[in-house]
Amino acid sequence: MEFLSLLDVTFFLLAGFGALIGIIFGAIPGMTATMAVAVCLPLTYALGLHHGLALLLGLYVGGISGGMVPAVLLNIPGTPSSITTTFDGYPMARKGEGEKALRVCVIASVIGGLISAAVLFLFAPMLADFSIKFSYVEKFLIILLALSVIASLSSSMLVGIFSGVIGIWLSLIGDYSISDGGNGKTRLMADFMEPYLFEGFSLLPVLIGIFGISTILLEAEKGVKSELSHERVKFGKGSGFSLGLFKGRLTNLVRSSFIGTFVGMLPGVGGSAASVLAYTQEKNLARDSSQMGKGAPQGLIASESANNALTGGALIPLLSLGIPGDSTTAVLIGAFTLQGIQVGPLFIPENANTWYIMMTALVFANVVMFFLMFFAIKHIAKVVMVPKHILYPIIVMMCVVGAYAINYGIMFDVWTLLIFGILGYLIQKVGLEVAPLIIGFILGSQAEVYFVKSLESFGTLSIFFTKSPIAVVLWLLILASVAFSIAMSLKNRKRDREEQIG
Amino acid sequence: MESGLSNLLSVSIDFGTSHLLFPTIIHWIMAGLFLVILVTKVVPFLAAVKRGERTLPIVGEPMDAYRFFGTLVLIVAYFYLMDVVGNLFPYTGYGFLFVSMPFVLIMSLMYMHEWTKKAVIIAVINAIVAPGLAWFILAKLFTITLP
Repeated sequence: MEFLSLLDVTFFLLAGFGALIGIIFGAIPGMTATMAVAVCLPLTYALGLHHGLALLLGLYVGGISGGMVPAVLLNIPGTPSSITTTFDGYPMARKGEGEKALRVCVIASVIGGLISAAVLFLFAPMLADFSIKFSYVEKFLIILLALSVIASLSSSMLVGIFSGVIGIWLSLIGDYSISDGGNGKTRLMADFMEPYLFEGFSLLPVLIGIFGISTILLEAEKGVKSELSHERVKFGKGSGFSLGLFKGRLTNLVRSSFIGTFVGMLPGVGGSAASVLAYTQEKNLARDSSQMGKGAPQGLIASESANNALTGGALIPLLSLGIPGDSTTAVLIGAFTLQGIQVGPLFIPENANTWYIMMTALVFANVVMFFLMFFAIKHIAKVVMVPKHILYPIIVMMCVVGAYAINYGIMFDVWTLLIFGILGYLIQKVGLEVAPLIIGFILGSQAEVYFVKSLESFGTLSIFFTKSPIAVVLWLLILASVAFSIAMSLKNRKRDREEQIG
Repeated sequence: MESGLSNLLSVSIDFGTSHLLFPTIIHWIMAGLFLVILVTKVVPFLAAVKRGERTLPIVGEPMDAYRFFGTLVLIVAYFYLMDVVGNLFPYTGYGFLFVSMPFVLIMSLMYMHEWTKKAVIIAVINAIVAPGLAWFILAKLFTITLP
């Protein structure tokens, strides 16, 4: 219980403040939890590790939850993961039950968040304990597995793999670092770039560019239109909410929370996959799903508990293996590095206090989120009205601060923002996928070290198959994810053909 | 037979060129994937474009060119000028402060669809207060390096 002495008022205030800012970001359509974390990063530079974590986790939880507000009131998912919340939330808002719908969402969210935090607490140390024995061979295979899972769950496996490989390629620019046992020579660049790119692109400016600047560019292309179209936000008189709405919905709630946690664990799979999966499961398994899509609370419960359960789930591979579970945790990995923390199998055993502090922050952020949203939802909902022409310049400005200060004042990091902002824009325009690319970028240079070092010590490619039983299991999992993807695409093709005939 | 297979799989790495091993493999994978995507996705897509069923991304889509290119030009000018002004007053963060203010204002006005008196006044106040606050909190209170 030593960690209790490390908690102070500032810690809780920061977690609460993070949750509030996160909710606001999540509630504004087009802004996501990832962006909230990226934009607020500079604030953590001056904070210590534990205070920084409190703020970041608050932002994460708040950002995922905030998406429900415009989903219910305006039929626009505030974050991609609240897409299924619109199916039932908006019909309820149109019937004048907006506040009731939001309160159902808030309760589902907090339960999803807490269940996933519990799973994280139990599961991450176990996984870390197990993976501590991994050698470079298994570590390389884990990364290969992560990338194949991402690719197999992308809309097209080919495009997913290709995006991931581009990410790996980008991460190899620069030197083969001597500190990792490399020979210190540079590759993939011309001589004149060496002063800027000797160590490659910095992670955080890349992420902030892709998630911050490219979002602004995509919006600018569409003319930065206000999506509100003078429509009044519908709350309805009196909330009409009672806990009775959850009667008989416990199975749904728990099932959706576990689905969310599990999907969160899979690397690179966005939040929309979790809520869509939970929603369709409820539709298939519920005794009466006839009202779903027309304003049934059960749809809201499925969607929101799943998308908040992502938070705990996505932190599991991050903290135990060093592999980010989604794009927000990808930004978190950068923030950890900045605080001098290397996430991976050794993180939890060596930083037990930090681990407990993270859990405290996560649970507390969920609680704050609950109270803020449950009692102040009417006021928070007004932020969806803040005009974009005020917000966007501020976001660009904060992106600049985040990028510039990261290495204590390097102007090239600011230009990196623009390079990757434009790249992120083009990638999304031509239909490549951002999540696999980012994960490839984060894991690429480690994959290289593990791969080359394994070959240097064993001198044969067969070591990747014969090193240990774990290696064989990992290969089986890789094959399974590829087989799953092929099966899914065949199924889709068959359905398309049937639709064309029918 | 077995020795033939293990010969095939055995690799010896020259430390001096080990920095090129992994990138070379990645290049081959990238090239292979690109070819497959070209044949299975891009060619059918281009054929659909030719038939007029689909449109090319970016060039074939409607676009607010004024705001899109305006944003790009503005960001480039912002980054460039921030560095220039910042070098005039090193270690003060004034480059950030003085260049952010006009940047925030111009971007606000560019994105604004209806220029009412009230909206413009709010944008002006925002352009002064937001960078000022960010500069004060980050550079002064937290002593974070700014341009």
